[in-house]
Amino acid sequence: MSLTLQPVRVNTGFEEEGVLVFDERQRLVAVLVHLADRHEVAPGQWFLEAGFGPLDSLSHPAFADLDVARNWISRHLARQAVRGAAIS
Amino acid sequence: MVAGSYSPQTLMIRKLESIFPLSEEEKQALQGVPIQATTFKVDQDIVRIGDRPSQCCLLLEGYTCVYKLTSEGKRQIMAVHVPGDIPDLQSLHLKVLDASVATMSPCTLGFIQHEDLRQICERYPRLTAALWRETLVDASIFREWLLNIGRREAYTRMAHLLCEFLTRLKAVGVAQDGTFDLPLTQAELSDCTGTSTVHVNRVLQALRADGLIQTKGTRVTVPDWETLKEVGEFEPLYLHLEKDEFA
Repeated sequence: MSLTLQPVRVNTGFEEEGVLVFDERQRLVAVLVHLADRHEVAPGQWFLEAGFGPLDSLSHPAFADLDVARNWISRHLARQAVRGAAIS
Repeated sequence: MVAGSYSPQTLMIRKLESIFPLSEEEKQALQGVPIQATTFKVDQDIVRIGDRPSQCCLLLEGYTCVYKLTSEGKRQIMAVHVPGDIPDLQSLHLKVLDASVATMSPCTLGFIQHEDLRQICERYPRLTAALWRETLVDASIFREWLLNIGRREAYTRMAHLLCEFLTRLKAVGVAQDGTFDLPLTQAELSDCTGTSTVHVNRVLQALRADGLIQTKGTRVTVPDWETLKEVGEFEPLYLHLEKDEFA
């Protein structure tokens, strides 16, 4: 699945640098936030701040870089698509 | 976190007395219960879901948690126990454990044979009532945690958890003032509160910035108890403590 990333500033109260992640139909599926290099838990990683649709209510992982984040999001969206097909 | 110089039996008595008045005779009887102390490293299972134990463990030093895992391996911590607690007391009456108990710090545990507990309960019915009350208070704490995890904001959730820890530690004499040892990782706090480690980190930063907690290593100080209580929506009624002073 091809995803599009668009830079955005996010008011988390902490880090602000983020990206909006859109699916191939240009629907917003996730917001990622770049954690500070001095972050205690996941320094420099990209945190899944919010997920929508298939990515909603999942846990909030942090990714080493944006490629890892893209792969993870694609995999989850694909899995959800398969599930959806099986039900209908 | 050290439980001081109390003997295992004295610690058990202090804990039970914090929720149930005991007579001298009953305390004497508890002093005679054989307890086998064993040390555990951090992150070790003491008992596991599905076990059929023939003994209970009394926590003498450190922190333990009760937890369950999802099929994906995600962990939810349902309760944290402090010195004086008997985390698997239910195994005295429920044959199979329905959750696991693990150490969250290096711990000392005192093992008490079910048979010894049964004997003392037969001779002293009020001790049966005291142990029953302990399991009821455990259930009350589970209910409060359900509310905390299910419905409170992350900031309030953490404040509530810290209020509970301090109150319970004070009730058994392990914390005297507003300072206590909290050797839990942010990942463990995340499993306690059902939030991500990143959220736990943000909430701790916010609590520090707002002057509600001070941390130094594993030591946590609460400089303004009344405000932390208010922020954490902490009403200690659910702990059913005998003395109001702890709350």
